[in-house]
Amino acid sequence: MSTAQGRGTHAKAILGPELYAKLENTHVLLVGAGGIGCELLKNIVLTGFGRITLLDLDTIDLSNLNRQFLFRKKDVKQSKALVAAQTASAFNPNVKITPIHDNIKEPQYDIPWFQQFDLVLNALDNLDARRHVNRMCMAGNVPLVESGTAGYLGQVQPLLKDRTECFDCIPKPTPKTFPVCTIRSTPSQPIHCIVWSKSYLMGQLFGEDEDADAGGELDAAEKEGENAQEIDALRKEATAFKAVRDALRSPTNQDAAHLVFQKVFNADIKNLLSMSDMWKSRSPPIPLDFEGIMNGSFVLRQGANADASTSKLPEAALKDQRTLTLKDNVSLFIESTNRLADRLRNGEDTISFDKDDDDTLDFVTAASNLRSSAYGIETKTRWEVKEMAGNIIPAIATTNAIVSGLIVLQALQLLRKSYDKLRNVHLQFKPAVPLSTISLSLPNPQCGVCRDTYTVLRCDPARATLGEVVKGLLGEDEREVSVYEGQRVLSDPDWDDNNERTLESLSVTRGKFLAIVDEDGELTTLSVGIALLPDDHPADAPPFILPSPLPQPARRVKPPPPAPETPHKANGNGKRLLPVELDDGVIDMAPTPKKPKRNGLAPASVPNGPVSVGTKRKATGREGEEDKSSPSKKRRLEEEGLVVMDGVDDKLEEEPDFILIDD
Amino acid sequence: MAATNDSQTIEEATTGMESAPDQKTRRYDRQLRLWAKSGQAALESSHILVLSSSSTSTSVLKNLVLPGIGQFTILDRTITSPSDAGNNFFLEGQDSVGKPRAEEAVRLLLELNDGVKGHSIVNKDVKEVLGTEDGVEWLKGTFSLVIAHNLEKGALDQLSDVLWKDAKSPPLVVIRSAGFLAEVFIQFHEHAVIDSHLDTTPSLRIDKPFPALLKHSLEIDFENMDVTDHGHVPYVYILVRVLEEWKQAHGGNPPKTSDEKKEFKAIISKMRKKADEENFEEAEAQAFKCWSSTVVPYDIKSLFGAENVAPHTKPFHLLLKALEVYTTTVEPYTLPLSATLPDMKASTGQYVEIQRLYKDRAVEERDTFKAILDKIIAEQGEDASLIDDEVIDDFVKNSHILRLLKGKKWGALDQDKEKLAEAAASEESSKQLGIHLALSALSSLQANAKKQKLTAEAKAILPEGVELPDEHFDNAIGEAARSPTADLPNTAAFLGGVVAQETIKMITKQYVPINGYCTIDLVETWSGVL
Repeated sequence: MSTAQGRGTHAKAILGPELYAKLENTHVLLVGAGGIGCELLKNIVLTGFGRITLLDLDTIDLSNLNRQFLFRKKDVKQSKALVAAQTASAFNPNVKITPIHDNIKEPQYDIPWFQQFDLVLNALDNLDARRHVNRMCMAGNVPLVESGTAGYLGQVQPLLKDRTECFDCIPKPTPKTFPVCTIRSTPSQPIHCIVWSKSYLMGQLFGEDEDADAGGELDAAEKEGENAQEIDALRKEATAFKAVRDALRSPTNQDAAHLVFQKVFNADIKNLLSMSDMWKSRSPPIPLDFEGIMNGSFVLRQGANADASTSKLPEAALKDQRTLTLKDNVSLFIESTNRLADRLRNGEDTISFDKDDDDTLDFVTAASNLRSSAYGIETKTRWEVKEMAGNIIPAIATTNAIVSGLIVLQALQLLRKSYDKLRNVHLQFKPAVPLSTISLSLPNPQCGVCRDTYTVLRCDPARATLGEVVKGLLGEDEREVSVYEGQRVLSDPDWDDNNERTLESLSVTRGKFLAIVDEDGELTTLSVGIALLPDDHPADAPPFILPSPLPQPARRVKPPPPAPETPHKANGNGKRLLPVELDDGVIDMAPTPKKPKRNGLAPASVPNGPVSVGTKRKATGREGEEDKSSPSKKRRLEEEGLVVMDGVDDKLEEEPDFILIDD
Repeated sequence: MAATNDSQTIEEATTGMESAPDQKTRRYDRQLRLWAKSGQAALESSHILVLSSSSTSTSVLKNLVLPGIGQFTILDRTITSPSDAGNNFFLEGQDSVGKPRAEEAVRLLLELNDGVKGHSIVNKDVKEVLGTEDGVEWLKGTFSLVIAHNLEKGALDQLSDVLWKDAKSPPLVVIRSAGFLAEVFIQFHEHAVIDSHLDTTPSLRIDKPFPALLKHSLEIDFENMDVTDHGHVPYVYILVRVLEEWKQAHGGNPPKTSDEKKEFKAIISKMRKKADEENFEEAEAQAFKCWSSTVVPYDIKSLFGAENVAPHTKPFHLLLKALEVYTTTVEPYTLPLSATLPDMKASTGQYVEIQRLYKDRAVEERDTFKAILDKIIAEQGEDASLIDDEVIDDFVKNSHILRLLKGKKWGALDQDKEKLAEAAASEESSKQLGIHLALSALSSLQANAKKQKLTAEAKAILPEGVELPDEHFDNAIGEAARSPTADLPNTAAFLGGVVAQETIKMITKQYVPINGYCTIDLVETWSGVL
């Protein structure tokens, strides 16, 4: 018996010849080649899947090697997708693996692209990409298996449009965020200082142009009613950044790190102290004195230094877990700032925080500890800062192996269409019941993602106009609609200024969705995925191809009645609040609450209150509307996938709705 | 201990700061956050024996080599067949066919981690090893743990006998699988876990405050306090204070009835100077701590007096004895105080202060505990160096989540008529039993057995008058007959994860391993422990 024949013996015996034969021609998309991805790739290659597309935007890091077994030390810094495909292909010559080193959110991965796959397997490490793939799979009606692990815990969830819940049917826990002033002027916990270092200070010093973001953020904070005087001081602080930014980039300035220190830990703090009102009811920070710290004459607070300088390293601790003294932190700050400045001078445009980039981790460790010291907050070791700043979730080979085995089993049930055998599986911490399985729930009738009616519009966005496209899609139907892209309103029954404009001029391009919302709220939203015209489309034909037959949105399932004391129509007549005219002439704002679908899962007790994440997200995935404190800060944190816990004792994993993440 | 050869290459490019971790720490960063340096050290000094180089076995080993065990040995004389080459990732396809499977597997597994050593023995099988006294000694003395996958019944029984007879022997992990079915069992006499990572918080002893805590709480001048400070008094002080005053007014008793409890909370609420003082909110929410008395938890109390049956758990038993003496002779008859405090609303200064109070007291109590321990060690004529200070600290710190598992011999269930009858009759365990019986029948008859014959074999295990658990057994035996030897990649991957996970728990002595027959049905994605 040759290997080629022998190879499938086992799998065939179990799957039966019919399903086994199908595997060869099954085209699978595997999103992610990290902890779960490596395991999963091995499993699907061994199981006999014949065509695999593997996509990952990441490169290999040393800390991956304790579990991502398709990689070796020599592969560090190479593309995960490429190396994984290479290693796994060598094993089975009959399988065709197409690696793609890219971001799944790129526009070319549109609905028709997703539809070429029989099955999608997610092995992702962040919520944003998970939601994106979920939406594309719901839109393209492609079966999806979702998964995640955290330490010894794991979860697998098969998702299929109209048959099961989708990833967004149940709201996911929102990452905790902080008011901008807590971060910028009145921190009280180590995490505040860490967020300040990695998201604010790093950006100011090593990021893109300093003014753009800071200005907007402070404007927004002012509108939200945060202390005006405080914001003024912060504005001043921001302008002074220009000087140090320039110093860091100047090839001749040898003293840039020192300048940064003086500005950030001395001058800025003095500036804040000058606003005595702020410190009436809280203890004021102490400006740090560089020379004094270095020569040992600086006393920060009575007794405060004693602990740090005398605390010895417990024997069981790692080098990285050493408590740093104030002086250590100053040295580390100067040294890491110089290293980062060198990188800028050697051609790097911008540097942002990456937990696996030692220079940035050292910088954030030192800067956050110095800030903590100034404010009388406890400091953290480099080890702890890495976990807090990098949102690290412990990851091990064993859990990934278990979960990957389970993923393929669910995938086979999907392919076999044994829908009654599909299970939502949790890997738990209980020795007596390692696996807990739950039969799948039906879609949430209020879900803002999978309850939409999806269709694909092939078009040339540079020629097709909004008006003709919408009219074409509605056909004979004369109902009143509003049209959105993400959270931007493009038209509504009383406002049709954009109808003559091309989709491209409205930034409605490949990979994006037009949402056609029924004005009366009677029908589900029609979500139109934009794709390009086929190559053979005649040049003189209309610039778009309508789906045939035209999509027929279903009747909406009414959300549960709102609490009686809040009249549902309250916002209905208010028209839109605060429209802001942007450069491209589009009005940018959150949809008004009268579109009930966007309030989908908001708890009945607060019908117009904060909207649950995951119910009203649109193409941009932005969640500005629920954020009362600081939209841009929050958004930034979310985009980074930062999940901040309330306190040291809070466990992210406690009975999670969904576990986020192994990378 | 295995040395990692990790000092060259990319690390040179990175930071020279003393605080930066070495390359090994970076490689193991994610797992060190789970089991810390002590767990990693235990892994690195371990040597695991694996009987067979099947797909399942190499999957297990992969998950042990990656996190960095010290050494492993595969004992297997099988020659690689084409079907092995098709389902075992740690073979090199056609190139491996005809070569000793264990040798090929070891070579490829070692590529995963150059800090690990691997050995293959391909010229004998476990029966031959067990046939000589030297072989038996070698088995018992060389390895930290033995793993056997689908070992034939005769050899497995002999192996488990030998290892069970001597309590010093390594634990034995038995894996049996067929198609989508599997069973995992760990044979050990005794397994002690100090750091179980169980999610229980130690008592703050608010109801039994130590003198310094009580004194401090009573001295706080709430009335004349600055408003800001008032909003930052840790809730622990508030509760201790209010409880003490309550007790004085109520004959030394805490609130008992639900009316009293309401009244107690109302007192706290009235103490606020502003409506939004979070520390007082916390105090109200935690008020139950005043009337739920701090005692030695049942799970810990039930360990006292346990018989010590294995030499390697001797230190744990000495510590346990000391804990028993401590909790019965030292006031207030509770576990030693933990220095770990939860997060609470407090100013930095206040928080540091309360931390110090708890820490100082915890050190005192630890010292008292240590004195008791020293006395016990001396009384029993043991060597004082048997337990080092770090272990004592660890034990005291985790004294509320200690675990001591008593294990059983492999196959003991099949001799236990009562237990079998009970399992067959119970709805909760008949599925587990069905799988166990099907796999047992398969392992005594080996492949090619017809369903009927397998059923008869399974029936013979059950005592007279006990019926097979019909439906569950039928499903299981069907699967066993259909794919008696198929090592499906996904079952192998799954088992590789489960078994390696349990092995790591055994070796690191952290987290609580599965105790019993863990049966698995992957058609239903189901697991249950018998």
